[in-house]
Amino acid sequence: MTATRERETASEPRSRRGQPRTLLGKTGEWFDERLKVARPTRHYLNKVFPDHWSFMMGEIALYSFIVLLLTGTFLTFFFDASMGEVRYNGSYEPLQGVEMSRAYASTLHISFDVRGGLVIRQIHHWAALLFIAAMLIHMCRIFFTGAFRKPRELNWIIGISLIVLGVVEGFAGYSLPDDLLSGTGLRIADAIMLSIPIIGSWVSFAVFDGEFPGTAIVGRLYIVHVLLIPAILLALITVHLALIVRQKHTQFPTAGRTESSVSGERVYPIYAAKAGGFFFIVFGVLAALGGFAQINPIWLFGPYNPAQVSSGSQPDWYMAMLDGSTRLFPSWEIHGLFGRYTVPAVFWPTVVLPTILIGLALVYPFIEARLTKDRAKHHLLQRPRDVPVRTSLGAMALTFCVVLFISGGNDLVASGFDISLNAMTWGGRVALIILPPLAYVVTYRICLGLQRHDREVLEHGIETGIIRRLPTGEFIEVHQPLGPVDDHGHGELNYAGASVPKRMNQLGTGALRHARGFFQPVVEKPEIAEKLAEVEESEEAADAAERHDKIAVELEEVEAERRHQLTD
Amino acid sequence: MTEDFDVDELGFNPAISATGADPDEAPHPDRASSSLGARRRPRRAVWRRRFAGGVVLLIALIGMGGAYALFATSSGANTSTSTAADVAAGQKLYETSCITCHGNNLQGVNERGPSLIGVGGAAVYFQVSTGRMPAPGQGAEMVRKEAKFTDEQISQLEAFVQANGGGPETPTGNLRDTSLSLGQGGDLFRLNCASCHGFSGAGAPLSAGKLAPTLKHASDSQLYTAMLTGPENMPVFNDNQLTPDEKRAIIDYIQTLKESNDPGGSGIGRIGPVSEGLVIWVAGIGAIVLIIMWIGAKS
Amino acid sequence: MTHSTANVPGPDELREMSPEEAMLAGAESGGVHVVHRRQRYPIPGTKAEKRAERGVSFMFGLAALAGVAFIVIFVAWPYVYHLPGEGSQQFRFYTPLLGGLLGVMLLGLGFGAVLWAKWLMPEEEAVEERDDEPSPDEEKLMTAATLSVGFEDTGLQRRRMLMGTLVLAGGALATVPLVALVGSLIKKPGNQLAHTLWGQPPEKYPNGVPMIYSDGRRVSPNDIQAGGLATVFPGVPGGVTSANTPTLLIRLRPNQSVQPRKGQADFGWGDFVAFSKICTHAGCPASLYEQQTTRLLCPCHQSQFEVLQDAKPVFGPATRPLPKLPLGIEVVDGTQFFVGRHDFVEPIGPAYWERP
Repeated sequence: MTATRERETASEPRSRRGQPRTLLGKTGEWFDERLKVARPTRHYLNKVFPDHWSFMMGEIALYSFIVLLLTGTFLTFFFDASMGEVRYNGSYEPLQGVEMSRAYASTLHISFDVRGGLVIRQIHHWAALLFIAAMLIHMCRIFFTGAFRKPRELNWIIGISLIVLGVVEGFAGYSLPDDLLSGTGLRIADAIMLSIPIIGSWVSFAVFDGEFPGTAIVGRLYIVHVLLIPAILLALITVHLALIVRQKHTQFPTAGRTESSVSGERVYPIYAAKAGGFFFIVFGVLAALGGFAQINPIWLFGPYNPAQVSSGSQPDWYMAMLDGSTRLFPSWEIHGLFGRYTVPAVFWPTVVLPTILIGLALVYPFIEARLTKDRAKHHLLQRPRDVPVRTSLGAMALTFCVVLFISGGNDLVASGFDISLNAMTWGGRVALIILPPLAYVVTYRICLGLQRHDREVLEHGIETGIIRRLPTGEFIEVHQPLGPVDDHGHGELNYAGASVPKRMNQLGTGALRHARGFFQPVVEKPEIAEKLAEVEESEEAADAAERHDKIAVELEEVEAERRHQLTD
Repeated sequence: MTEDFDVDELGFNPAISATGADPDEAPHPDRASSSLGARRRPRRAVWRRRFAGGVVLLIALIGMGGAYALFATSSGANTSTSTAADVAAGQKLYETSCITCHGNNLQGVNERGPSLIGVGGAAVYFQVSTGRMPAPGQGAEMVRKEAKFTDEQISQLEAFVQANGGGPETPTGNLRDTSLSLGQGGDLFRLNCASCHGFSGAGAPLSAGKLAPTLKHASDSQLYTAMLTGPENMPVFNDNQLTPDEKRAIIDYIQTLKESNDPGGSGIGRIGPVSEGLVIWVAGIGAIVLIIMWIGAKS
Repeated sequence: MTHSTANVPGPDELREMSPEEAMLAGAESGGVHVVHRRQRYPIPGTKAEKRAERGVSFMFGLAALAGVAFIVIFVAWPYVYHLPGEGSQQFRFYTPLLGGLLGVMLLGLGFGAVLWAKWLMPEEEAVEERDDEPSPDEEKLMTAATLSVGFEDTGLQRRRMLMGTLVLAGGALATVPLVALVGSLIKKPGNQLAHTLWGQPPEKYPNGVPMIYSDGRRVSPNDIQAGGLATVFPGVPGGVTSANTPTLLIRLRPNQSVQPRKGQADFGWGDFVAFSKICTHAGCPASLYEQQTTRLLCPCHQSQFEVLQDAKPVFGPATRPLPKLPLGIEVVDGTQFFVGRHDFVEPIGPAYWERP
């Protein structure tokens, strides 16, 4: 060990023998002796994350996933994934004496006879809905800002896979209680499997262990839902996050940002406090939803019975796209293929369409790179308006998806708005063909218009709203230039990918978006400003006094010298 | 009971089949009403028509009575007693409010209203107490409105129609008194009713603008008479198919469900995943995105 | 990490620095430059600082209180379900209270932590070098050499027989677990999809398979009125619970006549027709019967079947009519009861590749 020090300095307060004295220091020393963690710890604690709000949407998904793991583990302690029949005799009277599977009965047990079981079950289900919604808006942010470009294509692929797995996991999860609504969904899933050419009936019989519904499917879905897919999700999420840590986050271009650095806050303690706080906020919102909004009331649906169905049967929202495509796809079936084979109508909207959509999404970064011939690495994001083709394609895809989502619930829309059901179907089919190209064109024009406006403001300055009358009689509006102007009064600033101020209150210190508050402008608190002013004054006064004293002392010395010389 | 007579036996085609016209067909607005046309005819033709109408009525009554005796069994519920005064009062009400579409002999009017011969007091009770009748006009669906007649007037109309063709009567007594359990009632509900009315009775659209209405306003009697008479496009569940005990079990289940509280907080409509999806996007994502905008802002 | 380590201070220098200076030096050594750092309350003890601290503490305090309340409610609040009028209805507040209090606790913690960072922790802006150049040439060359020499060491390039048999063994390794684990999942569909339990050996049911309701009662023509329908099943073991057997028995009005499909003209009986309830599109029960328009609507994807055309699909994505059950009558003790004469003549429900 090194020589002892008496003063306390930057190092941990240490004893006479140089050993750390605090608990934290002792712990750190214990690990460091075994694992040499000092430098990597500091490396990760000092990592810089930019703090734009749109970068936190992926975190919503991450935190929802953690909530799912926690609440899901609780549920596994009570759920019985068996399709054996039993007569219900729990405390929900309207179902007493009814024959049902053990899976359904155990879910009723959790909901009515386990303390807090219902709130945890509801938090679990809300978290599942939020998980996929958050992944989707996160994907949209990544897409529209171009964050998927090199070097992040791998993360994009992992992200799409996470969405697909999340949807499958959700479907497996809500099918576990074996209620009438999800059982109907399983029946449709069976029809989808049957529709696959050549191997369809084999796939169906393999999954259901024979004819639908069999007695194995709930148990198999259970293992898929609590073991297989969570394991894959956990692994992929870990890789997803590790890649972000390794490659560092992207950021929007503004003053002072370059491709070779990332600016923001260090993880410890500020970003960790915000991110950790955000985890609790997401959890809190889910807890509130789980308490106040009833979800998946399986006791109202009844146990699954293949002879029963309810009107207004929809799957959970993230499956509504598939439901919509199935409702809209016309009755086109291929008969007599190769003389005797059938390709059912369900195959195209439920197997082919999702495969195409997911496939397109997976390869999009590579398509775009090839079409734009862009092989450079990008760490700065693009404003959506600056890439009108991509933004318009995205708007087209979103419109397509939204039409399908709405069509997934078209019977409820029909009854809610007094529209004929047949009209909803036809309307959906027409909208699906017409609206996406329309959305493309409209979005494209909007992007171009916004781009033009940016450059116009850069050239002509901001409209101040002040009208002046020239001596010649004409009225002009005074414009505030954003930078130096040439002889003709036109600005010389080039567009640099950052957002251009468009209003007067976006100029000056208020313009620095990163220094703008949320509810009110950021100003120094008055008392602190006063105190600081006081301190400054007193410091100045002290300085002045010091200088005064110094000069006085020097004068005295000079005087003394002179007197000394005179007396000599 | 619905019509069971032979077209050839009558000698002419009745105005409309008992189940009513095709709702997809709209009436022609410029077609003159038959009553207007009748006034223009000479008096002898009018009397001949009325005599013929009476013969038809007699044959229909005999046919109805016979068919009823052959096929229908007792509803098992107490039948109400109605007097001749009720029938007369009912006739007066009928002549002011119903005759335009249902004809002066309840035989129905082509393109306007079906025959009421044999529909029974139960059908009258259902249609009139839910305000569907008198109907304001033709359409794909007659929707529930505020009832135009008082309870007493409804009984009088029931008596009148019952006297002029028979049919199932409105039951009395406690319509939730059943020997079956709530669970069995629920099972019957899910097998027979939920496919149109939804698992929580919220209703659903049928094809081309028709509707299976929500059950949330329905009283016990209205539920019973609807099952018994099969109004509009609802199938008919007579008392052999769903015994009165089973009907009462279904009513018990539906009404208990309506009165029961949701254990999981707000039921958000009890319509399933669509409202849940709306909530997660509006309240969940909406609130959280606002929060992250706040977190991301510097202070 | 190839950050410049030239200006990393030594341990003696670090011990001389203030903690803050050492932290900044540590960040610099990792390529992180703290370009702006300012305490929010440079003068300690102002009212504003105390207010901010109180605000954050309030959040945490609220969270603690909510946690205590949660435990109390969890243990003490009545949660058992009762029907209205048969017991306490307090259960309907149990879940909302638990969720609400848990929410307050978590939101208190969350907002407290965020406000802590926003109001009390120093303002800071840091810049980190990306350091994302590809590996330097020397590293790439050395790694490439390591890989290629290693491969040469294995000798696989030269030793053809070794490579060949290795590939074969690898192929076996890839396929054997698949076969072992997945193989027993595979079941031969055979022609099970083309038959239902309505098809029974005639020796066993010489008069036809009895038709029953879900409670086991036999179905008689008198039961159903014109304009009515019932869900019926075959009266054989497993007939009520099988997913392929639910059948709709519909009684039409006398003036309604069915245009039968080829070969199914005698499948009805009197005013009665019976169709498979399982929609031929995706398998949901297509049981919304509009008795005036004689349409069967399936609630899942809005396929509509016209009963008078032998359940031909007239709207929506369904492509094939609902299979029709051939009806027969068996007289038992003077009462007529329905039977199914034989199975549907085509597979019910959704189609599949080898559908006959």
